[in-house]
Formats: sequence, structure tokens, C-alpha cells
Amino acid sequence: MLKGFGNFLIKELKELMRDPKILIGMIIIPVLMFPILGAVMSFSMQSAQESASKTTVLVLNRDNGEDSVQFIAFLNSSLKAILVSVSTIDDAVPLLSKYNATEIIEIPSDFSQNVTARTPVYVGFYSVFSGAGLVEGIGSSIVDTLVQRFNRDVAPDVIVPRQSVIIKGKVVDGVSLQVLSSLMISQAIALPITMMILLTYSMQIAATSVAMEKEEKTLETVLTLPMDRFAILMGKLSGSIIVAGVSAVAYMFGFNYYLGSVSGFASGGSSVDLASLGLVPSFLGYLLLGVSLFVTLLSALALAVILSAFAENVRSAQSLVSYVYLLVFIPSFVLMYLDINALPVWLRVVLYAIPYSHPIIASKAVTMGDYLTAGLGIVYVTAFTLIIMYVASRLFATEKILTAKLRFRGLRKGSKTPVEEMG
Amino acid sequence: MLRLSGVSGLSIAVEARSVVKVFANIRALDGLGFSVHAGEIFGLIGPNGAGKTTALRIISTLLLPTSGNLRVFDLDVVQKAAEVRKIITYLPEEAGAYPNLSGREYLEFMAKFTTKNKDELREMVKEAAEICGLGERLKDRAKTYSKGMKRRLLVARALMSKPKLAVLDEPTSGLDVLHSYHVREIIKRYVREHGVTVVLSSHNMLEVEHLCERVSLLNRGKIVAEGEPKQLKEKFGSANLEEVFAKVVGFA
Repeated sequence: MLKGFGNFLIKELKELMRDPKILIGMIIIPVLMFPILGAVMSFSMQSAQESASKTTVLVLNRDNGEDSVQFIAFLNSSLKAILVSVSTIDDAVPLLSKYNATEIIEIPSDFSQNVTARTPVYVGFYSVFSGAGLVEGIGSSIVDTLVQRFNRDVAPDVIVPRQSVIIKGKVVDGVSLQVLSSLMISQAIALPITMMILLTYSMQIAATSVAMEKEEKTLETVLTLPMDRFAILMGKLSGSIIVAGVSAVAYMFGFNYYLGSVSGFASGGSSVDLASLGLVPSFLGYLLLGVSLFVTLLSALALAVILSAFAENVRSAQSLVSYVYLLVFIPSFVLMYLDINALPVWLRVVLYAIPYSHPIIASKAVTMGDYLTAGLGIVYVTAFTLIIMYVASRLFATEKILTAKLRFRGLRKGSKTPVEEMG
Repeated sequence: MLRLSGVSGLSIAVEARSVVKVFANIRALDGLGFSVHAGEIFGLIGPNGAGKTTALRIISTLLLPTSGNLRVFDLDVVQKAAEVRKIITYLPEEAGAYPNLSGREYLEFMAKFTTKNKDELREMVKEAAEICGLGERLKDRAKTYSKGMKRRLLVARALMSKPKLAVLDEPTSGLDVLHSYHVREIIKRYVREHGVTVVLSSHNMLEVEHLCERVSLLNRGKIVAEGEPKQLKEKFGSANLEEVFAKVVGFA
């Protein structure tokens, strides 16, 4: 038995557990975070499924026989099928938004003839790709299930689906929505994960660097130097951004390799080139994404600096910034799999209000060519950042940087009064 | 390099009038008033919690007075804080150095706030190296220094730029007898040779007696006695300042 181990361990636990910042940051927040996350995810999936049950499809019926009428009636029993009479698929595409439909089904002229003869007939299924993540395929899979049921009732494999997708209003033949969606999701995971690591890492660095100045007792000296107080703040922020940036590049390098090796297996034989489908951001898109990431990072760092001003040492600074992780993790996890437009309105408002959602929202928006959403997000986060930076600069300009301290009255007994510390 | 131009004729370096500092409900300073002459070593002495550090922090523009007025070489510490910072250096009682910078890097970092001229900078660091006497150890990171070595480095930092006013909170705190003696001699030399004014605090009244030309005895945020150590001892019929203090606050 190690002599003195028990006694020392008890002291250690008392010391750690009596620090309310650690108690909240390390225990209460994680305990709350995952149930909240789970509730948000399941609620979102539920509401997405409900909306999918109201799936609307457009049907282009080129067949005059009875079987096609029966097939349409069969579809109508589970979803809303609207008959349209246009000459080509391209003419039907503009009608999708008019009827709020997510798929076009093209029934060929020889449909009834083949169904009656129990011979296979190719039916065109054109699914709209909107980048909605996990819920994207729900409407399309309902149609798939109906087709399988129809085949079971009539004859095995009588209807052979010919899958195509509609990307940004253009028909791309021979690509299945499911394959495309799963590939996009695997791509879409990269940014939220990078965001989480980058933000939490850099916030830790920024908070630690301010708390270190306090802990090592160098802050007082620095504050009396003939330099602009705002320069101290900017120096801290820039230092953290550079270190976090280097770590992000290293991380992205590793993650890209990981993603490459994983998708190599996942895509199997199906070769889907996202670039040729126009599903990679343009130069403007990348630029907007970069700006969005930068302003978000800056706001997170400024917030970390403010929080750390209330901490007496490195440990409590790290605990304090961990409160903010909830605001980083929830949007990252939710938006990793789901599109913001697929969520209920109240949740959308909450996610838009959290600044750390915006780079993830922007990454999907720019991929789909929606620059306005990305731009508005940048404006919002910039405004938030400016407010935070102003508060941080006020904090550095006054004696608050030395005297501010978060107090948890009742939880911590015997805390020092300011005059005891001031001497 | 700091210049004394335009203010050399001034005889008052620090003037405090009715300075009050309130933290929450506690009056750390309660109508503090004193003046420091240019080119002298002035001591604020008193027990722990008397308000010495608060007073020095207000002089150094770290804290704002709740009321009252404090001027450094005729510059108001609230209105002209940035100007005040150009002519002072402040050595906090519990100051530290950056653990991952070497002693020399720390001195260079600090010197760059005073001068952009490379020769002046080199000269300043050379002088600081002499003051602290750390020799080859200046190449090592500060985290490897003992408390005494760190203190010597910081005292050297506070004096190397030859500021108009050096505010030193317990300058010999953590130093052994020999190093304390060394630091006291350095402070005296700087005042004599470079016209630096020094305001220092200490609860070691015997030390202050040997170092300061004038002292203020501080108790509960107020000046309870002020004058030259010799005069104070004569006035209160005491052998040393400790006895003077005990008599003033009614302990003896």
C-alpha cells in the first residue's frame, strides 16, 4: 500500500470538487450536454420524418394504359402524386418548387404493355438534391419502398428504377441520391469536427495565456508598460489565432488523409465526382467560408479572453471557457447530420443565434451556391465579434482586468475580499 | 531612452491629495495625502493590509482612485495614464517573469518598450545584466530561476531604463541578506547617478530606515506620521521606526 496515498487523494478531490468552476465545467455541463443533444437530434429527426410523410412527387405519365393509372393511384395512397404534362424532364424541373415536390417520376410509354407482360420496364426517378443531410433521403426512400411493394404485388422486378438527381436545377443522370447524400454527409462531417477542435483548442490557448499572466504575476507589470492596452488584447488574440491556425492546418492534413482512406472503401464501385457535379464550393464560396471561420474564431477567442479575466489561475480559466463548449458542440453535432432548413423553426432560431453555427451553415450554403446565407451569417458573427471585442477592450482598459472575479457565493467559503489581495 | 526634458525644474515627483479607494464596502485608502520630491527615495511603510500596495498601484495607473487626486510629475494618473506609463516603471511585490523566456529575452522584451535604438537596447540589457548579476544564467529560461534570482532580474528590469519614477513594491522581498544589501545599494546608486525618483513600500521598517530619505507611516489607509527617519525617531523618542510606528498606532 502506498503510504499517504489515501490522505493525498482525499485532499486532491476536495480541492478539485470544491472549485465550482470545475464542478460545473467538467461534470454538470457534460451531463447536460448529451441529453440535450439527444433530445434535439431525435426531435429533429421526428419532425423531418413527419414532413417526409407529406412527400410530394411530380409524375410525368407518357403511358396511356391502365397499369400506369393504377401505379399512380398506388403512389397516391401513401404520398401526394401530382400529374404534370410537360414534354421533357427539364420542363418539369421548374414545377418542383411550385408544388413543393422533391422528386419527378417519369413513366415511359410502354409501361402498361410491359407490366401486363410481366417484363421489366425502366422508370425514371429524378430526386432533388438539397444538401439536407440525413433527412435528405427520407422522401426518396419512401418512393423506393412503394416501388418495391408494387413489384411484390405485381411481379418481381417489373419496375426497374433508373435513378438520377437534380442538383441546383440541373438533371444529372446515373447518380443515386442515397449514394450522393452519404458521400456529402461524410464530407460534411469534416468541417464541424475541425470547428469543434479548432474552437475549443484556441479558446483554451487564449484563456490560458491570459490566466498565465495572472498566475505568473506578469500581468501587473505588463499593464504598467508604455503600450496601448488594446495592443495587449490584440497580441493575445493574434498569438492564439496563429497557434490555433497551425494546429488546424495540421489537423486538416491528418483528417483529409483519414477521409480519403475511408471514402475509398465507402464508395466501393460507385464513382461520384463531386467537383464535376458542381458540389464543391467555388472560389467565392471558399472565400466566404474562410471569412466566416475567421470571424467566428475571433469571437470565440475574444470571449475566452473575457472569461479568463474572471479567473484567478489557469485551471479556473480552462473551466470557465468549458461552459462555452456547449454552444460549440450542439450546433456542430446537430448540423453535422441535419440541414438547418430541415429543423423546426424554434430550433432554427436558436442555431442561427449561436455564432458558432455559422461556419457550418455557411459550408453547406456555399456548396449549394447560396452565398446570401453565408454572407448574412458573416455580418451577424462580425457584429457579435465587435461587441465582444469592445467588451474585452473595455476590460483591458480599466482596472477590471485585475479586480474582476467570478464569485459563487455560498459555494465557496472564505474567499478573499479584494482589499486582502490589494494589500 | 526616457528624457527628462521640460520637467527637470519640477521638484514634486508624486503628489497625492485626499485619495480614497473603496473595494466593495472596504476603504483600502481613506484620504491618503503625501508628496514625494524629485530625486529622493521615499518609503511607504506599514503593516500588511495598510494600503501600501493599493497606493502604489494607483501611482502606477493600475487602479483608479475612488476619489481624490494623484499626480506623477504633474500628470494626473487618471486623465494622463498613458503619459504616466511612459515615465514610470513598476515592480509588483509578487511579480514573476515569463517562464519560457530566458532572462535575457525577458530583459530585451521589456527594453523594447523604452527604446527602438539597437545600441541603446544593448546598453540597457548590459546594464540590467550588471544590476542583477545573473551572468551566464541569463541564457537560461526563467522557470529554472530561484525566487531570489527572479527578483534580481525584475529589479534590474525596473531600473535599467532609468525611469523618472520607479515604483517598487517590497523590492527586496524574497532576497537573502547579501542580495538585499546589493539591491539597496543599486537603488541608492541609481538615484544618485541618474536622478531616478523611487517610491517604495516595505513592512521591513529597519530596511527602510537605511534606504529612504523620507517615509510615510501608513495604517488603515491613512498616513499616521511622515518625515525623515531621523526626525521621526527623535520626535517620538524611539530607537527605530518600528517603535515609532508602535507608538503612533497606540501599541506602545
